[in-house]
Amino acid sequence: MILDLERFQTQQRPRWHQLESLLALLESRPGRNLSPVEAESLQELYAQTAADLNRVTHGSLAPTLRQYLERLVARAYAELYYSRPTRAELWQPRRWLRIFTAFPEAFRRQSRFFALAVLITVLGCALGGLAVRYDPASVDVLLPADYLRNPSLRVHQEEKGQKRYLNATQAEAAFSAELITHNIEVALLAAALGVTFGVGTALLLFENGLLLGAVAVRYTQQGFGIFVTAWLLPHGAFEIPSILIAGQAGFYLAHLLLRRREDRDMRHSIGEWLLLIAGLAMMLVWAGLMEAFFSQHHAPVLPYRFKVTVGVAELVLLTIYLALIGRKETGAETSASVSEESE
Amino acid sequence: MRDSQPGLLPTTAELTVATPEGVLFRLPLAGPAPRLYAMLLDTTIVLAGVNGLGYLVYFVFAKAPGFGVMTITLAEFAIGFSYGALLEGFWNGQTIGKRLFHLRVIDQSGLPLRIEQAWVRNLMRVFDALPLAYLVAGISVLSSPIMQRFGDRVAGTLVVRETPLVVSTDEIWGQQKYNSFMDYPAIVIRLRRAATPDLASLIQDALRRRNELAPYARREIYRELAAYLQSEISRFPDELIEILSDEQYLIDATGVLFNEPFHLHN
Repeated sequence: MILDLERFQTQQRPRWHQLESLLALLESRPGRNLSPVEAESLQELYAQTAADLNRVTHGSLAPTLRQYLERLVARAYAELYYSRPTRAELWQPRRWLRIFTAFPEAFRRQSRFFALAVLITVLGCALGGLAVRYDPASVDVLLPADYLRNPSLRVHQEEKGQKRYLNATQAEAAFSAELITHNIEVALLAAALGVTFGVGTALLLFENGLLLGAVAVRYTQQGFGIFVTAWLLPHGAFEIPSILIAGQAGFYLAHLLLRRREDRDMRHSIGEWLLLIAGLAMMLVWAGLMEAFFSQHHAPVLPYRFKVTVGVAELVLLTIYLALIGRKETGAETSASVSEESE
Repeated sequence: MRDSQPGLLPTTAELTVATPEGVLFRLPLAGPAPRLYAMLLDTTIVLAGVNGLGYLVYFVFAKAPGFGVMTITLAEFAIGFSYGALLEGFWNGQTIGKRLFHLRVIDQSGLPLRIEQAWVRNLMRVFDALPLAYLVAGISVLSSPIMQRFGDRVAGTLVVRETPLVVSTDEIWGQQKYNSFMDYPAIVIRLRRAATPDLASLIQDALRRRNELAPYARREIYRELAAYLQSEISRFPDELIEILSDEQYLIDATGVLFNEPFHLHN
């Protein structure tokens, strides 16, 4: 077939302009809704322009025209095949509140990755604790900060309130923001390190566990077990699980990347990763507030038993939230989600 | 020539999308440099916004500076992470920097990106920014055939260049009045028949990018292309070649390929 390019352009140009105008009209509408007539017209113009592009692509020496038609087809393709969320959907409060139930549901669905994160952290804790217990020389390596090496000095400072500024509430507020942002960044890094196929996530969790185990044993050895529990538990009840959930998200991401070839539509599965991040960020906001406003107050202002009780109560509530809130997965749903994942 | 095309690599990276109707279209991918410029501009905007907010907070919380620090720290953090995610999610894949540099984030299937994808690719910046100045992202972009940083790989997105939707008519080969190649109609016909669309586009692209190329690179590229055409496609007489520069040779060849009335086999 012989193509007279000039004639071809002259004949088809009105149709391309028609498609351009229709696309411009649609793109200017916030909701990008199509009337039935417009939808039909768009479909028809798209098909015809796509056919024109095919004619120009095969054998023609008209790169500029080809580029123009490609751009036009790409825009029409995006309008036809992409369904945008409507404004009403986006701004529905119920949609946003759903995150409070969707998070524990996602947590339970991916609980095997949480178990892996717990296992690695426990291994780190055990190694850190055993090292400090049986090899005093390891203290300098594992606990480089002075306040971690010398519990008695730190306990004395804390109980006397020597680290306090004149206006404690003001300082606590600034401190809480620092804690929240720092902890979320660390947790996000643990979750993002899933792209290293989980190796980076595992190392981060292990290091975290190592430090935790070493501190716990060091303080307990020197008779400050109740102090350190009362000091760490009120915020640690949320902070440590959230780091574990970050590890869970990291391993989940690694799992998605490893089976990317099978799961062609990884973009849908990644929503689960996002839910875990959103949930742990909420938890870390609470942990930061507790650490700044509550954990730093010691006996006699706040009795240690009271602080430990608060910490335990938080832990119980968190466990109930993560284990029970949201929809229960029935057997059928579980098998459906498993088969969906393996598709 | 048709089967083996030595050196005919695309001059710009592209994504080829196949629609369900079997139509193929290409989208030009954004290279690291414009992406870096757009990011620097966005960073400047965020910093300016945060600093402006800082002044406001300073006055509002004059009597409670601790709460002021708390507000500004949290706001800085939230703006830093959500600026890109919200703008890309709600503004069809563009931030202010990307819009000014004609870039757009899209789904790797050629469709607009979804809000979740915008969040994922922006949250993954904590990894892409490692160890400093987005080094990990740079390595990832350069090693990816579709120029994805790790955030894009995870979110299933990529950054494309927005090309203008106009047919350009003021090409250099359309402006010259006399084309010395037209004195040799038999060789011209051979050139038209033997030159593939890819080869023609490559020559056209090389001429269009004249001012983007360093003088030495331009001379070398033009020399190689002209030599290739002369030896493999259509041999014009030596007395003509001797008086033409490599660039003029390519301009004449492109004039022959693109401007004269032509009939093509489809």
